[in-house]
Amino acid sequence: MNRRSFLCGIAAAAAASQIDPENLLASPAPGFRLVDVTQQSGIQFHHNSGAYGGKLLPETLGSGCAFLDYDADGWQDILLINGMDWPGHKRERSTLKLYRNNRNGTFSDVTRSAGLDIEMYGMGVAIGDYNNDGYPDILITCVGQNRLFKNTRKGNFVDVTKSSGLGGRQAFSTSALWFDFDRDGLLDLFVCNYVKWSPEHDVFCSLDGKNKSYCTPEAYRGETCWLFHNRGDGTFEDVTAHSGIFDSSSKSLGVAMLDYDQDGWPDLLVANDTQPNKLYRNQRNGTYKDVAVEAGIAFSAEGKARAGMGVDVADFDNSGTPGVAITNFDNEMIGLYRASSGSFADVATQSGVGLASKNTLGFGCVFLDSDLDGALDLAVVNGHIDDTVRNVRGVGYAQPPQLFLNNGKGAFHDVAAEVGGGFRQPKVGRGLAFGDFDRDGDLDLLITTNHGAAYLYRNDQIAGNRSIRFRLVGTKSNRDAIGASLKIFDNGSIQSRLVKGGSSYLSQSELPVTFGVGKRDKIDRVVIQWPSGRTEEYKDIATGRAYECVEAKGITRLQGF
Amino acid sequence: MARSVWPRGSPTPALILGLIITLAAVVAYSAYITRQISGLRELQNNLVARNRKDSLQLLRIQNDINQLGLAMRDMLANDEPYPLTAWSAQFQRIHADLTDALKQEQQVAVADRTPEQRQYLGNSLAQFWDAVDRTFALAGEGKQSEARTQIQISLQARQEALTTAVARLLVQNNEAEEQAAQRIAEIYDRVQRQVYVFLVATLIAILLTSLYLIRSNRQLFARLATLSEQRSELAQKLISTQESTLRHISRELHDEFGQILTAVGAMLSRAGNQAPEGSKLRAELREVCEIAQSTLEKVRSLSQALHPVMLDETGLETTLDWYLPVVERQAGIHICYEKSGTPFPVDGNAAIHLYRVVQEALNNVTRHSGAGKAWVRLKFLPKNLQLEVEDHGTGFVAQGTKQGIGLIAMRERAELLGGVLEFTQPAEGGTLVRLQVLREKLDSHAG
Repeated sequence: MNRRSFLCGIAAAAAASQIDPENLLASPAPGFRLVDVTQQSGIQFHHNSGAYGGKLLPETLGSGCAFLDYDADGWQDILLINGMDWPGHKRERSTLKLYRNNRNGTFSDVTRSAGLDIEMYGMGVAIGDYNNDGYPDILITCVGQNRLFKNTRKGNFVDVTKSSGLGGRQAFSTSALWFDFDRDGLLDLFVCNYVKWSPEHDVFCSLDGKNKSYCTPEAYRGETCWLFHNRGDGTFEDVTAHSGIFDSSSKSLGVAMLDYDQDGWPDLLVANDTQPNKLYRNQRNGTYKDVAVEAGIAFSAEGKARAGMGVDVADFDNSGTPGVAITNFDNEMIGLYRASSGSFADVATQSGVGLASKNTLGFGCVFLDSDLDGALDLAVVNGHIDDTVRNVRGVGYAQPPQLFLNNGKGAFHDVAAEVGGGFRQPKVGRGLAFGDFDRDGDLDLLITTNHGAAYLYRNDQIAGNRSIRFRLVGTKSNRDAIGASLKIFDNGSIQSRLVKGGSSYLSQSELPVTFGVGKRDKIDRVVIQWPSGRTEEYKDIATGRAYECVEAKGITRLQGF
Repeated sequence: MARSVWPRGSPTPALILGLIITLAAVVAYSAYITRQISGLRELQNNLVARNRKDSLQLLRIQNDINQLGLAMRDMLANDEPYPLTAWSAQFQRIHADLTDALKQEQQVAVADRTPEQRQYLGNSLAQFWDAVDRTFALAGEGKQSEARTQIQISLQARQEALTTAVARLLVQNNEAEEQAAQRIAEIYDRVQRQVYVFLVATLIAILLTSLYLIRSNRQLFARLATLSEQRSELAQKLISTQESTLRHISRELHDEFGQILTAVGAMLSRAGNQAPEGSKLRAELREVCEIAQSTLEKVRSLSQALHPVMLDETGLETTLDWYLPVVERQAGIHICYEKSGTPFPVDGNAAIHLYRVVQEALNNVTRHSGAGKAWVRLKFLPKNLQLEVEDHGTGFVAQGTKQGIGLIAMRERAELLGGVLEFTQPAEGGTLVRLQVLREKLDSHAG
């Protein structure tokens, strides 16, 4: 050891000794800012809801977005889902947009070359490598026929809807996710359906008694969600009925995977609109049982089925058990649930999230550590379903997004007005996803709006907090390692994450996992529980960079993030 | 005979009695209100809240039964690509929720529900689930068509009967709630009436107490005025007696002892003239004559001090002209005497009282103020006489608030004259004693 390294070591030890985990979690200032880089990054997207005045129900609900690395170059690309004009009211051609990350803060529109330049009434998206070839495939949920696009590994996709067995189904699908419910190493597919709707059977509803407005779902019959089992040969088997998922009363908008009972088998939480939420517990035999009522998450505290929209699940209180956020209608508040001994308790009011969301209608929601302080924060996008609501109920149609900063002690406060970048500008928000598109170690935000623009907000840390990121590659488990759980242990504190698709509303965030570690330059250890059941542990890992963990093959330090 | 705790005529016993009555009324009213609130709470807890909880559970049951109806409608619609057994899990979920709701409903069901009513819903649901099991058994055997027929002829009818039964219970709850609301309204009305009664009674009590207090105060003030008059009369008599005594002694000293001493002096002077020139006897007689003369002067001086004769003869102004240099000499202080205005005669008792006030004020200056200088101002104003004695010493306040007999006498004399006596502190410190008397009052006391 030379003199310089010795002095550096002394300085680092002195700095580390001054860090108190309490202070680490209790930083009062946001510690970061958001910058609207939509224009400069080259994203020019406008969602086409197809609205022509007929006020058809699907118009007000789309659409979603996703971060994905479609070319497997380690840089997150962007997918924005689009609707289209209704038959008989054709005005323009509109398709989804795939933006390739140019690795310099800009994106290129590669929709056409990727073979995705196809018109459809898209709603949501689920990204997953269902054929384990190392390249993510795309499922687009639609009003009508959902579409599955297989990644050819050559920069484009082919529509395999029909050959995969997903064809021939007309529905009003919303959120979806890929997960390996039977832990066979192959990603299965869960799709939420909203209501039985068709343009011919659209119901006339009105908020003001004069003009037609978008209906709430009470006007329509429910529709069951679907569960498709991946046979491993590129085809899927509908196991909706067999698995116990079937429920014709469901009016589902959001879905998140979780390990509710900590048994290593993926469970599902489905947010239903005006119907009880569903918590499907995996019974480890290919079937599910709805335990939402017993778990206390089906209804509000008053016993009312709320209008669940988006949902996300994460260990936001670092207790080792998953907490839940569900966005609801205005006057219903966000449901923020903390797990406690097998059931959930709604702590929205006590945490400060409840009152702040009383007059907002939330859609997309994600837990993310936006300030990298070690406590998961909650981002929410809001926006009403009908612009005539302004005249009747006194709440806004466009509503500000919210970013609830977690103080690590159970309290959240909205810092949307403090983070800059015009983030708090009212929007008719729908989709919300996060991902580190610029590979600087913090999490950027992607927002879609109904019949409006998409927004990309770059996260710039100003407090100097650091992160550590992990990209997991399954070998025996599914290639995306969806369902793997990670726990980092450091100085007595534990953070846990689940590699998961879905969550939020119609959207999907990036698959790599990010932990905020404050100013610490290393963590004691990370423990990975793979979906296959394998457990791996790595010790004394430096922060401020990303790692690739390949199941049963070890950990590799990547250049930067 | 034992003395009463309170003086005769004191309002305290009556006021204490009033206070006891008022407190007793408040306690009685509080007890009444507490009883009413307790009854209200009991009614709300036992009936209204229980009824509401029960209705919520009944609504939950009704919602579940409706869900069953919708599920059966979907099963009959036959537009899903799934066999009827797919609905099994959905029915199980509703079954579980219904069982829980029914259990909770029975815990909070209103007390006046009959055992038959309590059993009916449970039995009906049990029969419904038996029919459901039979239907799914048929569906499981692949007899989809027969199962659908079962739904139409058995399940849907039972579901409708259940809906009606729950609706009837809800109506019953609603009626009970209306009755409870009526009873609550009656309680509120009763309490409201009692509040008005209590308010009126309280106002009357306050009014009576106030009237009694006013009457008692009047009596007290009248007694005080009488006592004050008696005290003033006594003081006047005391002062009058003192003055007449002093005048008498002064005259006796001047007239009797003065004459005697003058005679003694004259006789001694004659005797001395008859003694041989230069003899020892002549010298001793002259010495005794001088002693007699000195005694005569002292007697005259004492007579003047007790009651200056010139007060009776020439009035206040001349007396002060004589008196103030005497005080200067005796006390060793410098007195600035200022007279202003057009003098008018101040004689008789008025002159005596004013003179005594000046005498006492200067006495205080010499004895207490520590000042080496004093100002005496006699102002003959058109309508009144103003007399001021001022010093810049330690001040009246600094000397303590306890009033000596001198100050009391000054006040009494001022009152006797119908004048106004003020004690103030000049800007330079010390004390300013100011007495103002209307001229007409002076004239009336001149005799």
